[in-house]
Amino acid sequence: MASPGGQGGGALSTRGGGARRMKWALELSMGNSRSRGDRQGGQGDVVYPIGFSEKPVPDTSIQETDKNLVEKRCWDVALGPLKQIPMNLFIMYMSGNTISIFPIMMVCMMAWRPIQALMSMSATFKLLESSSQQWLQGLVYLVGNLLGSALAIYKCQSMGLLPTHSSDWLAFIGPPERMEIMGGGMVL
Amino acid sequence: MAKLIGLCLNVVILCSTVGAVFEDQVGKFDWRQQYVGKVLFSNFDAQSQSSKKVIVATENNVFASLNIRTGELFWRHVDAIGPEGKIDALLHHGQDALLVVGDGRLLRSWEINIGGLNWEIVLDSGSFQSACLIGQQDIVKHVAVLKKTAISLHYLSNGHQKWIENLPESETVDYQSVYSGGNGEVYVLGIVPHSHIAIVVYSLEDGEIIRQFSVEAPWLSNIQASCAVIGEGMLTCADSATVSLYMLDLESQTEMSQIPLQSLGLEVTPGFQPVLRSTQPNAARPPLSEFFLQVGPEQHLLLQLNDGQIVTLRDFNPALLVSFATTGEKTIAAVMSPKNTTACSLNLFSAETGRRLLDTTLIFPLDPNGGKPEELYVQAFLKKDDSVGYRVMVQTEDHTLTFIQQPGRVMWTREEALSDVVTMEMVDLPLTGTQAELEGEFGKKADGLFSMVLKRLSSQLILLQASISHLWKLFYDARKPRSQVKNEVTIENLSRDEFNLQKMMVMVTASGKLFGIDSKTGTIVWRHYLDNIPANAAFKLMVQRTTAHFPHPPQCTLLIKDKDTGLATLHVFNPIFGKKSHVTPPAMPQPILQSLMLPVMDQDYAKVLLLVDDQYKVSAFPSTKNVLQQLQEIASTIFFYLVDSSQGRLSGYRLRTDLSTELIWEVVVPTEVQKIVSVKGKRPNEHVHSQGRVMGDRSVLYKYLNPNLLAVVTESTDTHPERSFMGILLIDGVTGRIIHEAVQRKAKGPVHIVHSENWVVYEYWSTKSRRNEFSVIELYEGMELYNSTVFSSLDRPHAPQVLQQSYIFPSSISTMEATLTEKGITSRHLLIGLPSGGILSLPKMFLDPRRPEIVTEQSREENLIPYAPELLIRSEWFINYNQTVTRVRGIYTAPSGLESTCLVVAYGLDIYQTRVYPSKQFDVLKDDYDYMLISSVLLALFFATMISKRLAEVKLLNRAWR
Repeated sequence: MASPGGQGGGALSTRGGGARRMKWALELSMGNSRSRGDRQGGQGDVVYPIGFSEKPVPDTSIQETDKNLVEKRCWDVALGPLKQIPMNLFIMYMSGNTISIFPIMMVCMMAWRPIQALMSMSATFKLLESSSQQWLQGLVYLVGNLLGSALAIYKCQSMGLLPTHSSDWLAFIGPPERMEIMGGGMVL
Repeated sequence: MAKLIGLCLNVVILCSTVGAVFEDQVGKFDWRQQYVGKVLFSNFDAQSQSSKKVIVATENNVFASLNIRTGELFWRHVDAIGPEGKIDALLHHGQDALLVVGDGRLLRSWEINIGGLNWEIVLDSGSFQSACLIGQQDIVKHVAVLKKTAISLHYLSNGHQKWIENLPESETVDYQSVYSGGNGEVYVLGIVPHSHIAIVVYSLEDGEIIRQFSVEAPWLSNIQASCAVIGEGMLTCADSATVSLYMLDLESQTEMSQIPLQSLGLEVTPGFQPVLRSTQPNAARPPLSEFFLQVGPEQHLLLQLNDGQIVTLRDFNPALLVSFATTGEKTIAAVMSPKNTTACSLNLFSAETGRRLLDTTLIFPLDPNGGKPEELYVQAFLKKDDSVGYRVMVQTEDHTLTFIQQPGRVMWTREEALSDVVTMEMVDLPLTGTQAELEGEFGKKADGLFSMVLKRLSSQLILLQASISHLWKLFYDARKPRSQVKNEVTIENLSRDEFNLQKMMVMVTASGKLFGIDSKTGTIVWRHYLDNIPANAAFKLMVQRTTAHFPHPPQCTLLIKDKDTGLATLHVFNPIFGKKSHVTPPAMPQPILQSLMLPVMDQDYAKVLLLVDDQYKVSAFPSTKNVLQQLQEIASTIFFYLVDSSQGRLSGYRLRTDLSTELIWEVVVPTEVQKIVSVKGKRPNEHVHSQGRVMGDRSVLYKYLNPNLLAVVTESTDTHPERSFMGILLIDGVTGRIIHEAVQRKAKGPVHIVHSENWVVYEYWSTKSRRNEFSVIELYEGMELYNSTVFSSLDRPHAPQVLQQSYIFPSSISTMEATLTEKGITSRHLLIGLPSGGILSLPKMFLDPRRPEIVTEQSREENLIPYAPELLIRSEWFINYNQTVTRVRGIYTAPSGLESTCLVVAYGLDIYQTRVYPSKQFDVLKDDYDYMLISSVLLALFFATMISKRLAEVKLLNRAWR
């Protein structure tokens, strides 16, 4: 049992168990005589056509289009947050202004995603490093995320979650100090 | 729309709090004590040893039966307040008790076993004079009621009138007494003062006048006070001027014979009006020939009329009280004589011979904090060996009833003074000794680091020891069955509980007796009788020092003012132990008008009390140098107001530095038109947490929280329903500025008013619609706060906005008070005492002038209930479920240590204490909180986590090996 890897173990046991049922067996490769799936995988290993190489051969002829693709890909990354905005608007519209668990979850998601994105700005910049319009893309990405968070804040505002009214600070107003001492009453 | 409003209302009501308790909470934190009042008449049930009842009729128009073994009430009937329900006479015959009620308006017969009414008849009008049972041939069948102008005879069995006769010459003769010796004749004794006695004899059968004669008696002015019928119809009168007895045989119609007391070898204390006391054990037989004559404040004589001669049987000197009692054929005389300063002794004497009966001495312990004995009620019974045994009920000056059995065992005492509580305060209990020690450590001055550390360590050790002993006690008690664990409340184990829910109730009663009652159990911890209280005194109770200033003892001051002379005295005492304080109160030679408690403390942490005399000069108590100095510094900020109802004058004064005063404003309400009935300021210990109200659009409407605001209620002197009105005046007590004034036409008192925070709620009778109405006024500063840090009445230029709304209430009310909590976060309820005996907890949000008539989005946002003119009484709002509080006169509320909880005491004839939670118990776990379940689930989860962690480790290891 101490053989490394399950395949060898499987082959061994098959050999031990199968020997009783079959009169003879031809084994072209080590192991994998038991299940069909294994056999198929095994066949791939064995019957490579001649000249087949497992490693892809680097293609040098399509360098130009590749550059364009990188650019495109980078723009995709940069425009990602902006593209989400219409979707967010729709969600916002659908969830309404009542305060309950689902709208709150939505708002949290909406607020959290741009913040997360802004926090990992440097990672995104690294992604965009290969692009020539790196700074523009970064700016667009930033603006998109800022817009997203602004939207979230607007949503919070319309839901009444922001302490922007005087009533939100009412609890912090202490009782006023009394300047005069007064007492008395009906003549006893 | 109506449906919607209904739905909203339902939702609000369902969401709002419920005042009622669950069945298993009954009696858990509430208690009730029932009282009857000062006893006027008392009779013992059947004269046997096994009888268990004593029936009493009291000054408070209460007729009740007490269990003589426990002192508890068997039953109680409470009649109307005032002269309408006054009990004029109590006659007792067998199982029936006859009452004459309301100055001879009604005659009632009660069955005393169950307290059921046998019959009731309305008597003819006329003021009541006297009543007596009439018997013939050893059977008592009739009762005679004597009125000013007529005498009527009624059957005992059904109350039907047998006959009624007008009295002759009733314009001139003042008929005062009726007497029957059981021989078929009814004697009516009348008098023309300082002239003659008029006697009319009626036939029992048909009410015909048999004889009528008059006897000269120019010295006599009142029959009832100085005369008694003794023996076979011998009218005996005592005269203090000539120091003699006058006797008249009612049958032989002769002249009155004068017997000077000196001839009997007796002397009367000069200036003392001798009092005669006879006894008629059976109404069908003539009175006994033995009688008591009181010749001095502490001297009684037992005399006997023997063939027209008066014989002295025994001279009791000193004797405080005497009483006759009859059992079977034996009549005995009980005499109470002073023994020493702490006890009195009672002895029985044979009425016939004046001999002392053996083994009948009984010791009555005199309470040093009680009054002198005033009345003696004796229950005598025959023991198995035919000797006479007895029990006594002693009434003392402080309205206490004490029931004593031989040989001096006090069976029970009833503090009937508590039926008339005038004012009360609740004082925090002190911390336990150990806690106090800890506190004292920080109170004392520091004396070096090392000793401080030592002190700290030792106090911590003491604390540890205390907690261990407490735990041990808990463990020890838990093993005993619950019924055996008694929590006796004594002064020693009184201590503040965790949430300060247990407090000391200091109650001042009209009789001048002070009580300290533990609010948790209702046990009377201390009592103190002030024996020189004038009859119509005004009381004002103030807490000068609370228990928070250890090691200084707490201190209460009671201002007692005699309304006749205007002179006042101060009684300074410790509210926890009831002991009189060592602090000597100042002498006050001038009449006192009012007092004023300042938030300023002297060096001993006692708040300063200012007393205003009739010269408008102010004296301070305590008046140490320190206090006077402080007073000089702040004198310019001290203002006080006085309201003189008789002159209709409200006046405001300001204190000068030399403790004289200056009048700064005055408002006169013309007394011909209206009179001031009440003035309410705010309670000094009230806290308001929120300075404003949040509107639907999330702006703030700031409250007008003027601590100096006074609500003055006036009523018109004209009581005609069309012209009567009441006025309400909101006035600033510092500047005299009238903030709001309103007149309610066609309204009548009595007006009940509550003034708190920024609102005033009052209740009145609307004569136009003939119903009770509530009205609420709320004051707001507006959307802007003028000055949020300080409030000065002198600097508030803007008048507040006033909102008002009125509602219909389906019942009249007796009293009203608002709940009070520690920080004022909890919503407020109004506690309303109803004449039916219920105490209703009405949420203040139903009395809100912002309740809209048309529901809008904003009002719904604010949780405003749509306006409905009727306020309903919901049965779950009664905080006292079926524990009726009879004749509730006042409700006192006090905050507890828990923000959610407010302590309530309702007092009247009964006393009821409970707790209310206006916003439910948001800061306490519920009683039925399942600690077992929660902790077992927690434990199970914990173990499950441990086990699964272990299993996971094993599995991981196995997999690694594979």
